[in-house]
Amino acid sequence: MHKPSPFDRVLNRRAALQAGLLGAGWLSGIPGALQHACAASSTRDDKRILVVLELSGGNDGLNTLVPYGDDAYYRHRPKLGIRRQQLRVIDDHHGFSSGMAGFERLYKDGRMAVVHGCGYTQPSFSHFTSAAYWHTAMPNSGEEYGWIGRLADAIDPKLTPNFIVNIDETQTLAVRARNHLPVSFDDPKRFMRKGLYEERPLLDAAPAADPKDSASLRFMRDVAVSARESSQLVREACARYKTPIDYGISPLDLPKIAALISADLPTRLYYCAYRRNAFDTHVQQAELHQRLLTYASDAVSAFMRDLERIGRAKDVTLLVFSEFGRRVPENTSLGTDHGTANHMYVIGQPVRGGHYGTLPSLTQLDEGDNLIHTTDFRRVYATLIDGWLGGDAKQVLRGQFEGFPIFG
Amino acid sequence: MLPFLAMFPLMNRIVPMRPLLLACLCWFVSIASSAFAMSPPDGKDDLRPIDAAQWTSASTAHLLQRAGFGGRPDEIAELTRLGPREAVRRLVRWQSVPDNFVPFDESDLHDPGLEPFPASRPATTDAAKRDGQAIGVAAKPAGNNRRLQPVTNKFFYWLRASRLETHRLSYWWAQRMLVTPRPLQEKLALFWHGHFATSEEKVRDYRKMLKQNMLFREKGNGSFRELMIGVAQDPAMLAFLDAGVNVKGAPNENFAREIMEMFTLGVGHYSEHDIREAARAFTGWNAQDLTFTFDAARHDDGIKKVLGREGPLDGIEVIDTLLAQPAAGEFIAGKLYTYFVRQDLSPVLRAELGARLRASGYDIADLLETIFLSRDFYSSASVASRVRPPVELVVSTYRQAGLTQVPGVPDFNEVTDSLGQKLFYPPTVAGWAQGRSWITPGLLIARSNFAYDLVYPDINFIPPDRYPSADYKIRDFSDKLALGLDVTTASKLEGTDMSSMSNQMADRDEEFNTRLASYRGWQMALERVKPIPRAPARLELSHMVLADGCRTAADAVDALLRRFVSAPIAPATRTRLTEFLQHELGTADLAAARSYLDEPLRQTLHLILSLPEYQLG
Repeated sequence: MHKPSPFDRVLNRRAALQAGLLGAGWLSGIPGALQHACAASSTRDDKRILVVLELSGGNDGLNTLVPYGDDAYYRHRPKLGIRRQQLRVIDDHHGFSSGMAGFERLYKDGRMAVVHGCGYTQPSFSHFTSAAYWHTAMPNSGEEYGWIGRLADAIDPKLTPNFIVNIDETQTLAVRARNHLPVSFDDPKRFMRKGLYEERPLLDAAPAADPKDSASLRFMRDVAVSARESSQLVREACARYKTPIDYGISPLDLPKIAALISADLPTRLYYCAYRRNAFDTHVQQAELHQRLLTYASDAVSAFMRDLERIGRAKDVTLLVFSEFGRRVPENTSLGTDHGTANHMYVIGQPVRGGHYGTLPSLTQLDEGDNLIHTTDFRRVYATLIDGWLGGDAKQVLRGQFEGFPIFG
Repeated sequence: MLPFLAMFPLMNRIVPMRPLLLACLCWFVSIASSAFAMSPPDGKDDLRPIDAAQWTSASTAHLLQRAGFGGRPDEIAELTRLGPREAVRRLVRWQSVPDNFVPFDESDLHDPGLEPFPASRPATTDAAKRDGQAIGVAAKPAGNNRRLQPVTNKFFYWLRASRLETHRLSYWWAQRMLVTPRPLQEKLALFWHGHFATSEEKVRDYRKMLKQNMLFREKGNGSFRELMIGVAQDPAMLAFLDAGVNVKGAPNENFAREIMEMFTLGVGHYSEHDIREAARAFTGWNAQDLTFTFDAARHDDGIKKVLGREGPLDGIEVIDTLLAQPAAGEFIAGKLYTYFVRQDLSPVLRAELGARLRASGYDIADLLETIFLSRDFYSSASVASRVRPPVELVVSTYRQAGLTQVPGVPDFNEVTDSLGQKLFYPPTVAGWAQGRSWITPGLLIARSNFAYDLVYPDINFIPPDRYPSADYKIRDFSDKLALGLDVTTASKLEGTDMSSMSNQMADRDEEFNTRLASYRGWQMALERVKPIPRAPARLELSHMVLADGCRTAADAVDALLRRFVSAPIAPATRTRLTEFLQHELGTADLAAARSYLDEPLRQTLHLILSLPEYQLG
């Protein structure tokens, strides 16, 4: 009945790795930890990093990058539609919401790829179900592992510690892996086990795994190992990090990620979110939505400038997505209800900016007044895997998805 | 499934169960039960009641942990003596147990004009510009400096005050969990709080959160139908899921979606069309301040069709239609089971529990009695297999440590927040994910640190209900005002390039300054919100182990393990703990170390509470 813990294999391999890589005295000397971490990154490709930012709650894409050139938009949104004069116009059809100076700049600098009409067939209108589909990249399947987790298992079979970092209150399904142990934490300052000197040997001892242990207990021990390996690194990196860049009123978790990148952690996959369904704007959305977008745009553009400052802009690509867009017609509460297709944004110095994919029609909607998606969202994942990180998208995504020429 | 549906077409209310239906369900149940006749001897998946002969103090300890917040030795002895039926009855049907309930001691915070509270600061200041007043505060005459400042101050006052009072509310609830003679009442209230997840973050009115909490306490073990109706008419829920804007001709589907997806059926048992139709049935449902109101003029009484049922349905009829679905019984029973027993629930058992729940007219006490008496509940698959949710972990730690008062240091809200479960602030409408979601590297470390902060209360502790956290940048602002800086200059953030839109946009409107309002709002709230007592825990561990008859370091370790940990502990771990304690004592003999016993016992307790095993129960 007991399934083997997904980490069983990891631990043996990791134990061997650590013996060589990390040596003894892991917990004693503070300066040593960061140096060890750097040892893992070597070749150029090994430095390539993907950061994922999830806008949770279902961001209203039509009021983010507004298709002001399409009259149908204003017919569907007589009250919520944003007039051209209020937009940050980027071309003869589209303009960003007024607070998104950061996104406008990134687009105009050619560092932002906008992929249109991203969705999947038989869309779910439940936040949690649809998010799970995006997290696993396997809609309507009940897949157990996340696409980031499967990707890590595929491109890093030697199971580098701290390969995936997930900053959030709880671990997201997207990073769940068969073999890798994602480092999940929220506040780096609290990511430290308190304990007195004389308690340390017991507190920090690797708990002896016993084959008789229950599955729950084995899981608990595995997480404890990951915590021990990562907490000091993360804490040091964040404590050392100071930046003059203004991330705005809601920096999200991006300054923490900049700190970890700056400290040269071996992490290649970072995952964070605008949390707690923030973008679920059913009612009186105009001011709230504009504010959320301003914060997100501020944080993203500051992150990009910060990466330039520390000389790592060439190594990092950021993906921004949401579990669905919103219904095309506004509702009668000056808000919008759960919808379907949406933009995805791929941002960074390595990116060839511009529009990708086909604009979804605003006149031919499905029976629920929703956009009919034009791009399977996994094509963007495939682009990131094949074109950026270097992996086998077909294997990770368990299917063939044509990429976009976003990375030249 | 079809026969069940066919029997319900005329039923507006679930309550009267027809004999034929009952017979039919009993038949179904008996068929299902027979499948378990061959279940493992240890009782997994077997719903038949446990034998009184197998009732031990271990059974009682398990029961008290799951149906409450852990049992102290005297409580375990008492329920063991009662035997399974009476013990379970006493927990589940708590109305017969004498109570010591103490109502929440409210601070006097709410002022006329605050209700209905505007959606945002811009909505407030816009209203004040338009009408000359908002939230009960007038705009100053034109020409004055910052004429909308008092309105803006008041807006922030209420945000801060309601938040701080909600923190007091969770202290009050935790205290109730700690000392109640009806533990399952609070445990179920906690369950329903996660099931009908409503957050102060959006409601922004502690009074509504309190009212909802009382509803869970009063109706938690009754009929789910009554509870569901109560929640659908609860002012906090109505605010949380936007009922105010769900009106005839303009239905808002937020509540209709969540009642199906989250509260009764689960994904996959309804269509988008059902949601839209159900939303119409709930039109006109709203609250005025703390009272449910039905506005007939805003109710759509046209024909709707929800899950095959057609008619001029109202909200209650929609609820009954949902509860007539077999999926509803399974969804609710399954969620209760996975919360109280274990995460892996077989489809067969899930169907059986769902059928029982529906057959009983959604009697929650009845279902829980079945579950808590079942052999399955006491089987090895169930015992000590559950990751203990944070609030339970904290409260039961306090109970086992012999406390009768929730400590003021560490702060209960900060601790539970760092562990991932802050009361009255569930992360989303889905509530808290259970099971392994409670454990990440960060969260596991936080659990260990909670134990440290309990045995060594932080000498640098700053009460978060008296001093704004650093995030608000309020302290810096306060210092600058005292130096005589003007408000605009004091608002500037030092150390950044001020390049973000959000910081540039802030406070461009000279009719008010939001940083000043945030600062004044804090001061006004602190004046009125009652303080939380800040005594640390008074631990008397030496008394505890000596009263237990311990003579040696090994005895003391065993006593602490027995008291605090329910998962089995490897002999090697026990040995290491004993060696540690003995080393710190300088002797194995507790009597010889009597005068300085406490400190080493604290260290040992910290180590025990940091074990992975401690997180299971």
